[in-house]
Amino acid sequence: MDGSNWIVLLIVVPMFSAILTTMLRGWAPAQRFITVVSLIACVALAIGGLASLGSNGVIVSQAGQWPAPFGISIVFDQLSGLLLAAASFVALCVYVYGLTSKEQEVGRGWYHPLFMLLMMGVNFSFLTGDIFNLFVAFEIMLMASYAMMCLGGGKQQLSQCYKYVMINLVGSTFFVLGAALIYGMTGTLNYADLAVCVAQSTMPGGTPLPSAFGAVAMMLLFVFAVKAALFPLWFWLPDTYHTCSITVAALFAGLLTKVGIYSLVRLSPMALAAPNIRGDGAFATILPFAAGLTMILGGLAALSMRETRRVLAMLLISHIGYMAFGLAIMTPTSLSGTVFYMIQHMLVMAALFLACGLIERYQRSSDLAETGGLYRQAPWLSVFFFVAMISLIGLPPFSGFFGKFLLLKEGFRLSSQGYWLLSALGLCTGFLTLLALGRVWIRTFWGPEHREGVAERIENVSDRIAVAPMYVGLAMLVIGSLTLGLGAEFFQGRTSDATAELNEPRSYVAAVLGPGAWPEIVAKGDESTSIKVANTHGGDH
Amino acid sequence: MTLLIAICVAVIFGVSIYLLLGRELKGMAMGLFLLSHGANLGILAMSGQPLRVVEEKTVLLGPPILTQASIPVDPLPQALILTAIVISFAVTAFLLTLLVATYRRVNHLAADELANDDRPTVLTTL
Repeated sequence: MDGSNWIVLLIVVPMFSAILTTMLRGWAPAQRFITVVSLIACVALAIGGLASLGSNGVIVSQAGQWPAPFGISIVFDQLSGLLLAAASFVALCVYVYGLTSKEQEVGRGWYHPLFMLLMMGVNFSFLTGDIFNLFVAFEIMLMASYAMMCLGGGKQQLSQCYKYVMINLVGSTFFVLGAALIYGMTGTLNYADLAVCVAQSTMPGGTPLPSAFGAVAMMLLFVFAVKAALFPLWFWLPDTYHTCSITVAALFAGLLTKVGIYSLVRLSPMALAAPNIRGDGAFATILPFAAGLTMILGGLAALSMRETRRVLAMLLISHIGYMAFGLAIMTPTSLSGTVFYMIQHMLVMAALFLACGLIERYQRSSDLAETGGLYRQAPWLSVFFFVAMISLIGLPPFSGFFGKFLLLKEGFRLSSQGYWLLSALGLCTGFLTLLALGRVWIRTFWGPEHREGVAERIENVSDRIAVAPMYVGLAMLVIGSLTLGLGAEFFQGRTSDATAELNEPRSYVAAVLGPGAWPEIVAKGDESTSIKVANTHGGDH
Repeated sequence: MTLLIAICVAVIFGVSIYLLLGRELKGMAMGLFLLSHGANLGILAMSGQPLRVVEEKTVLLGPPILTQASIPVDPLPQALILTAIVISFAVTAFLLTLLVATYRRVNHLAADELANDDRPTVLTTL
């Protein structure tokens, strides 16, 4: 336990670089240097941590040596590690892309600290081991994102920021209330302890878990669905991503919604929707509907939009449906598909938004009626956009295919429970994505250059230097997603390790609470189960 | 006691939802502030009630330090409230700053007029 405190560095490094870059406002080169170095450090720490984990390994750091249910646990396992590595990598690419962009000057030096604060919140939410700290992490992340959203302070930005703050603040209020109610019912906020409580269906005193727990679980589902932009709660997303600057949009597209999905992946199988709570069926009923409708309606909405950025925002939502699809089935395989899809979606969505930024730079607009002929103007941009597009659509050698394949196969395997419908909707969404992105491709990259004179050719040297980091960032993301696709066997091995125990988090609970804390369930008779408690706080049951 | 807190929370939530549904940004902001107060009050209820049955009589226990109550109230929710208050304080400050910035830019605080400016343009022909 002593040698494990280094994982806190994943939170501390972004925090300190945020503080340093705040103090160094006005000296942009130093700010850039610090931010790049600390982002690289985050990637290295996450990958190093992953490499040191075994297949079921969990690294736990108990803050201040307080034992688990009482203190704050910081937990690094396969799932957190994979997402931390992906998120830090995406952030690094987006930051490199934005090295020369204009909003850095508009924000008067605040861009860099806010970027790192956002990363601190994201890393913290992946690492934390209890619900209340998840709330705190969300708030850190959201405060940074509020401020980033209105950098520049245009009229549209301010009004969209208002909408974004409103919806997220309502969500946060319900989050804190839900966390309190869970504490009131189970007497714990620690994930592992909560999982034990739920698995035994008792509160620590030995009284059975009240049926209202299901209602609180729905409250938290609402909160995470708002953050993840699932079907009925997505309305805030397209407009906000449309008005902010492109690096900010790419960062949000890559990371923010995934944090909501991550929380669901972490919490629903082990606690919120565990089989003995699922008895009410609310989770199992609502999630498939939300997933299916998110996929198909997002795809249809993408077809109706006429600006590349809005098309991408709707596709972002639509593909979050795939992740919710894996969550709805909630078997280890489908969860593994969800996690794989999350990672690929982070890389690909950020790449597409960054490519859209370059389109806007070359053509002064991303309106499909005004763009055209970009293939001749910028062949490399076309290549990157094409690869990212094909990945999102999900053709075989690219990363999107493998995530979708896992999910769709699992859906058809469980078709007796009606999940084939979700798989069918998933296939349709693939086609809708193809249509929407194909239209973007035809209108932007093919055809004559619309509006002669508007299209800008990058010819002089200073413009080339300004564009170079953008291409580097974009290329890194595209190469990342290609690696994910070509090394799919390796990466799927890691994701299935990460999700193998989510339904019954034996090694997670053992690592956090100490060995023997997980109640082994001994089957007795046909349906009923009796629970033998090895070592808990509650006493005999 | 829990019932009393529950009624308070319900009233506060009701008022704040009424404010949130208004068309004026200042009122909506007030609604949000109230909402977070309601949530904090809700957390307070989780620390258990000071009314307990002691020796077959319902008594109101004082603060655990003053009376020698054998069952003190759980202090953790109060720590949670403190954190939640600090966070909602920060968000409140941000939201008020945003209000001032918006007002300086557009000289009104009506949600409808702000929303009118950025309707998405929908493709009519391919």
